[in-house]
Amino acid sequence: MLKKLYATFCSLNLGLWLMTGVMVTLAIGSFSKASSEGGGLNDMPLLFWLQRAPLGYSWWLWLCIACIAVLFVNALVCSIDALRKKGRSVAPHLMHAGFLLIVLAHLLSAYGGFKQQLQLPQGDSFGFPDGERVVVERITGDVGPMGMMSGYRADLRTADGVHGVQPNHPLFHKGYGIYIKDVALSPVPVALFEVHREPGALAAFVGALLFTVGNLMLLAQRRGR
Amino acid sequence: MKPLLITSALLFAASVRRPVFVVALACSLAYLASRGVALGRLPLIGPQDTLAFFSGSIGLMALPFVYDRRLSGVRWFCWGCGGLAALFAVLALPFPTLNMPLPPVLDTYWFELHVALAFFAYALFGIAALLGGLFLRGAGRPVLDLQYRAALVGYSFFSLSMVCGGIWGYYAWGTYWLWTAKELWTSILWMFYSLYLHLRLKGPAWERGFAWLGIAGFAITLFTYLGVSMLMRSSHSF
Repeated sequence: MLKKLYATFCSLNLGLWLMTGVMVTLAIGSFSKASSEGGGLNDMPLLFWLQRAPLGYSWWLWLCIACIAVLFVNALVCSIDALRKKGRSVAPHLMHAGFLLIVLAHLLSAYGGFKQQLQLPQGDSFGFPDGERVVVERITGDVGPMGMMSGYRADLRTADGVHGVQPNHPLFHKGYGIYIKDVALSPVPVALFEVHREPGALAAFVGALLFTVGNLMLLAQRRGR
Repeated sequence: MKPLLITSALLFAASVRRPVFVVALACSLAYLASRGVALGRLPLIGPQDTLAFFSGSIGLMALPFVYDRRLSGVRWFCWGCGGLAALFAVLALPFPTLNMPLPPVLDTYWFELHVALAFFAYALFGIAALLGGLFLRGAGRPVLDLQYRAALVGYSFFSLSMVCGGIWGYYAWGTYWLWTAKELWTSILWMFYSLYLHLRLKGPAWERGFAWLGIAGFAITLFTYLGVSMLMRSSHSF
C-alpha cells in the first residue's frame, strides 16, 4: 500500500497533470472578479479571504491550492527518490527545493500576513500593537516639470529615532514594513501609508536564491550538450 | 529617432541573409540606446518603448541561433527571426513616444531588471517557437535540441525576472505577490515552461508534442504580454 502510494507520488505523469491543473485554474481565476481590483483578494491574507468569500467566487482558487498541495508532495517525493540514487545532479532538486520554499512562503503569508492603509497629515501618529506611537514628523515632495510628483518622502519618529520613508525605501520596524504610497502637499501635507506584515518574505527569498543557484547549475551542465 | 526604428523594421523584414539581420539589429539597438540616453533610463514604459524593446530583444537573443552551424543551411530561419522582430517594431510605430519621467515607485534597478529579463525570456520563447515550426517541417533532432536550449535559457531569464519582480514588489508595494491578472498569467507562463522542460524526460516518443508545446508557449507569452495588458485591468497594464 505504502509502496503504491510512493510510486504514485513519484510519478512524472502526476506532476504534469498537476501543473496543467494549476495552469487551468489560474487561467479561469484571471477572468474571475475575485482577482480584479475590487475583488478584495489583495486586501487581506489569502486564508481570511477564502474563509469569507462565497464558494461560487473562490472555487477556482480552492482547486488551484489543492493542485499545488499535491504538486508540493510530488516534487518533494521525486527529489528524495532521485537523490537516493547515486550520480544524479543536484541542480534540478535545488530548483525543486526553491519551489517548495516559495510555496511554504505563500502559506506563511496567507496565514499571518497583514495590511492596513492609513491617511495621515503631518504631525499625526499611528500606534503599534504594543502601544508604541509612530509620529509623522514631516512630509515633503517634489513636483516634476509635467506636474506629477517626481519624488516624495515622510520622516517618521519611532522610539529609536527619526527615519525617512520613500517609494521603494520602506521602514521596517518590529516585523512590519511601513510604506509611503502617495502624498498631497496642499492644503496641508498628507501622506497615504500602508503597513504590511509579510511573514513569508524571507522564505520566499531563500527559495528564490536556491532556485536560481539550481537553475544556473543546470544551465552550466547543459552547456555544449 | 523614429527613422531608426523604421529602418530596423524594414531591414529585419528583409533579413534573408545574416549580414542584413546584423545591420537591422544594430539599427534597433541604436534606436533603443538613443531612447535610453534621452530618458536617462532603459526605455521600458508604454507600448511603443516596450514593443521596440521586445523587437530588439528578439534580434539580440536570435543572434547566436542565426549563426549556429546547425542552422546555417536553413535560410528561412534567419528571415523568420527577422520577421518576428520586424512585426513588433512595426506594431510599436503607431504608438506615441512617452517622454515622461519615471513614477517614483518604478525608479529602481529591480524594476528595470524585472522588465528587461522578461523581454529577453519572451524573445527566447519566440525563437523556440520558430525552431519548433522548423522541426515540424522536417528538420532533424538537432533543431529540437536547439529549441530546448532556447526555452531553457528563456525559462532561466523568466525565473530571474520573477525573482527581481518579487524583490521590487516587496520594497515598493509591501508584498512579493499580488493577485492580479498579470501575475496569474505570469505564473501560468512559468508553469507552462516548467511542464515543457519536465516533458523532455518522457523521451523521443514526445518529440512532436514537444515541438508543438514550444509553439503554444509563445502564444501564451503573447497573451501574457499583450493580451493581459489590453484586455484585463492589472497593475502591469500599459
